[in-house]
Amino acid sequence: MRLLLSFLLTAASLPATTYYVTISGLGGEPDYAQHFAMWANDIGKALKSSADSKVETLINATRDEVRTSLNAIARDAKPQDALVVMLIGHGSFDGYDYKINLPGPDLSATELATLLDRIPATRQLVVNMTSASGGSVEFLRRTNRVVIAATKTGTEKNATVFARYWVEALTDPAADSDKNEVISALEAFRYADKKTAEYYESQKRLATEHPVLEDTGKSDGVRAPSPENGEGMLAGQFPLLRIGATATAAKNPAKLQLIAKKDQLEQQIDKLKYDKAAIPPEEYKKQLAALLLELARTQEEIDK
Amino acid sequence: MKLVILILCAAAVFPAQSLQQAESLWKQHRYEDAKNAFEALLAAYPRNAEYRVRYGELFLERFNPPEAAKLFHEALVLNPKQAGALLGLARVAAETYEAQATEFAHKALEADPHLVPAQELLARLALEDSDPELAAAEAHKALQMSPDAVQAKALLATIDWLNDKPNTEWDPHNGPGYETAARIFVLNRRYEEAIQLFRKAVAAQPDLWSAHSELGINLMRLGRNTEARAELELCYANDYRDAATVNTLRLMDSYKNFVTYKTGRTILRLHKKEAELLHPYFEAEMLRALHTYDQKYGYKLQHPVQVEVYPDHEDFAVRTMGMPGLGALGVTFGYVVAMDSPSGRPPGTFHWASTMWHELSHVYVLNMTNFRVPRWFTEGLAVHEETAVSPEWGDRLDPHVIVAIRDKKLLPVAELDRGFVRPTYPAQVVVSYFEAGRICDFINREWGWPKLLAMIHDFGAGETTPEVIQKELGLKTDEFDKRFMADLLADTKKTVYGFDKWREGLKKVAEEYKAEDYEDMIRDGNSIRDTYPDFVEPGNVYQILADGYLAKADKKSAIGELERYAKVGGRSPDTLKQLATLLEEAGNMKEAAEVLDRLNYIQPVDEDLHRRLGGLWFGLGNIAGAIREYQAVLAQSPTDPAAAHFNLAKAYRLANRTEDARNEVLASLEAAPGYRPAQKMLLELSK
Repeated sequence: MRLLLSFLLTAASLPATTYYVTISGLGGEPDYAQHFAMWANDIGKALKSSADSKVETLINATRDEVRTSLNAIARDAKPQDALVVMLIGHGSFDGYDYKINLPGPDLSATELATLLDRIPATRQLVVNMTSASGGSVEFLRRTNRVVIAATKTGTEKNATVFARYWVEALTDPAADSDKNEVISALEAFRYADKKTAEYYESQKRLATEHPVLEDTGKSDGVRAPSPENGEGMLAGQFPLLRIGATATAAKNPAKLQLIAKKDQLEQQIDKLKYDKAAIPPEEYKKQLAALLLELARTQEEIDK
Repeated sequence: MKLVILILCAAAVFPAQSLQQAESLWKQHRYEDAKNAFEALLAAYPRNAEYRVRYGELFLERFNPPEAAKLFHEALVLNPKQAGALLGLARVAAETYEAQATEFAHKALEADPHLVPAQELLARLALEDSDPELAAAEAHKALQMSPDAVQAKALLATIDWLNDKPNTEWDPHNGPGYETAARIFVLNRRYEEAIQLFRKAVAAQPDLWSAHSELGINLMRLGRNTEARAELELCYANDYRDAATVNTLRLMDSYKNFVTYKTGRTILRLHKKEAELLHPYFEAEMLRALHTYDQKYGYKLQHPVQVEVYPDHEDFAVRTMGMPGLGALGVTFGYVVAMDSPSGRPPGTFHWASTMWHELSHVYVLNMTNFRVPRWFTEGLAVHEETAVSPEWGDRLDPHVIVAIRDKKLLPVAELDRGFVRPTYPAQVVVSYFEAGRICDFINREWGWPKLLAMIHDFGAGETTPEVIQKELGLKTDEFDKRFMADLLADTKKTVYGFDKWREGLKKVAEEYKAEDYEDMIRDGNSIRDTYPDFVEPGNVYQILADGYLAKADKKSAIGELERYAKVGGRSPDTLKQLATLLEEAGNMKEAAEVLDRLNYIQPVDEDLHRRLGGLWFGLGNIAGAIREYQAVLAQSPTDPAAAHFNLAKAYRLANRTEDARNEVLASLEAAPGYRPAQKMLLELSK
């Protein structure tokens, strides 16, 4: 998902920090414990290189340790900052509340929501990759918060593989589907969702997890975010991980005019693509080719 | 007192009326009412074995053999000599070609020596087992018991018809009789003649719905779908809704989801969800196989061959048998082949190209012999062809076969068909495929391909297995069996007699692996590996050894081990990809590409495979290969469409297909307008 220039400029002009917290819960069995810890560590490794970020990985943390970590961020973070919380492990849902299985007392979705609400960072992303994580969406959703869950509901109770592919999304350049050198939350969601579905299909197993995304603060989450269902806009603009130097050019005042032109061309391309169905194919191709060529020339000028 | 007498009289009359009522309802096709009447009878007379037998027969007729068997067993508890119950169990077993059918039929005859249907069943079972002499003798016994035994006549007529004697004195002139004959023809893969007999059956008895259903299913097998549907819908409309009829109708409804590709010699039907991806691979392989077989068999097929590929194994099973649950991977009906798609099986468990070559061999052998060939021979040749294409293809020596060789369970060649039709132990079909394949390998090696070719023609001329073996190999079948077994044992004895020790050794190696005791694991793994080199299933010693070598940072040895795994026919996509990665890291790009290319014949539904292989072929200058692989990536709704289109654009550009390259680079930029490498190429192409 293309990040709007205005957003980039805003983001670039403010000393914003992204706080990443990965919480890996109890495995129960050695195999799960090993995988949960490995995925959490892999996420940590992928994020370490991200500029302006603070990364914390909590493996087998107790509820108090999670509270301590999030409370510390609540003290330090500013409104222009961003927060990403990722949960890996076994979850449960009793019909009233969701809980992630931690050593000692478990952490409920209600309490997690309270802890997150105290954090001033305006933009927040919660990626709950545990079993039954769909049960947490209704507690965690809020305006300006993207919530991703590995399961559609709290009743999908089997151990999940979504986390495995979420990790992959952070390390595979293919996840950056629009090639803007930023993996957005929406891109990572789509990548992991597709890979999860392929996993079950290739193994000839009935899928026991159906990931959902919610970023309007109003719904239970949807399987396929799109303009039609109104979901995905915020997630598309949420830079989960920068893998290039996208902001460099934006800092050069001499290039601002070119950047504005580029932005305009990109908007024209978006509009053309939106209108594709209503335009004869040959005409569409002609217009698209002209705009893409102009965009390529403009980019070439920017890169000089 | 009068009252008591009245009640007693009533009790004596009532069951007769109730049984009559149940039978009458059954005859009127009011099956639910008949069932209720039988239930009432059983409740009133729980110790009456005969009622249970009749009730079981109703279930058997109404497509519920398990419930029928339950009632027959209950009847036998009440009366162990209940001939009807024994016959019922024989019929239930015969439905699924279980060996017990003969035993139960004999027991039924012991219990009632005048039970004609049991005697007729014995004749049918013998004919199903390809023993026409025994079948004729059993049928004549039935006719001695009752000169009007229709099924016995039908079976004698069938023997004549199978021997191309159309004017038989035993023509049953009866619907069920023709139906039985038709079923035997189906078993002999003579579908056209079977269809003619089913037609005669329904002409003789228009309400014989079972024959209508089988007529429809066999028409569908030969691709005559319109007529097939009409027959099956007729059954459905007349309340004949067994699983085969319903499943087949449902399958035919799904045909709209298939795409057909034609060349002059091939018709390929693929499910639309994977048609674009599989089409190039399947069509190329069909044409390659047909070209090879044209030369090898010296025979030109008269019509294009149709291959249907089913991503849902249950659809394939319905297509072939009318019922789900079939263990086979492919089935041939004349010029039509139905097979599983690689996406219909867990990755690594199915070599689709091997299956395709196997089935296409049947197309030649069945047509060359006009379908007059014993099952063992056509299957044996087809198995032989799998490894003739490539030694890495085909099935490996599996533990069932090892145990069968050790326990001397292989059948004499003259009786080998029995192992396919009526297995006496669970793995006998698999063992029989192996044995038949090895027999053809043996003949090919000892006497040469021309002898196998001559045998095809002999079978086509109606000669029997003993006659053909004597004529072409100069041996009696028992002499042949001795020579074959000696050869097989010489080849497999290390595995067969070392199997138990190998199993213990593998367990130990697995424990050492778990304990990360790599030194001992490598020593012990190497000591057992060659005892059973064909074992490439999960947990195989090659993978364990490779992991051990990698743990010791010995990549060269790991590569060597995984190359051995690939060479003996290992098929796990993960393992082969791991080998490709190691080869790439070692700079052996060509070998890496060849390993990945092998996966195209095993599990081509894999975006990552095509992306990697495309990159390797591109780097190695195999642009045609790169284009094919990059097209395959795009056929799978790739995770990264921009990169996928761009890669294809690069390959087109190197192939001087500038317009195609431009289209692909535009498609790439449509997905990701800011994609720098694609922008650069667009500028270059626009100069």
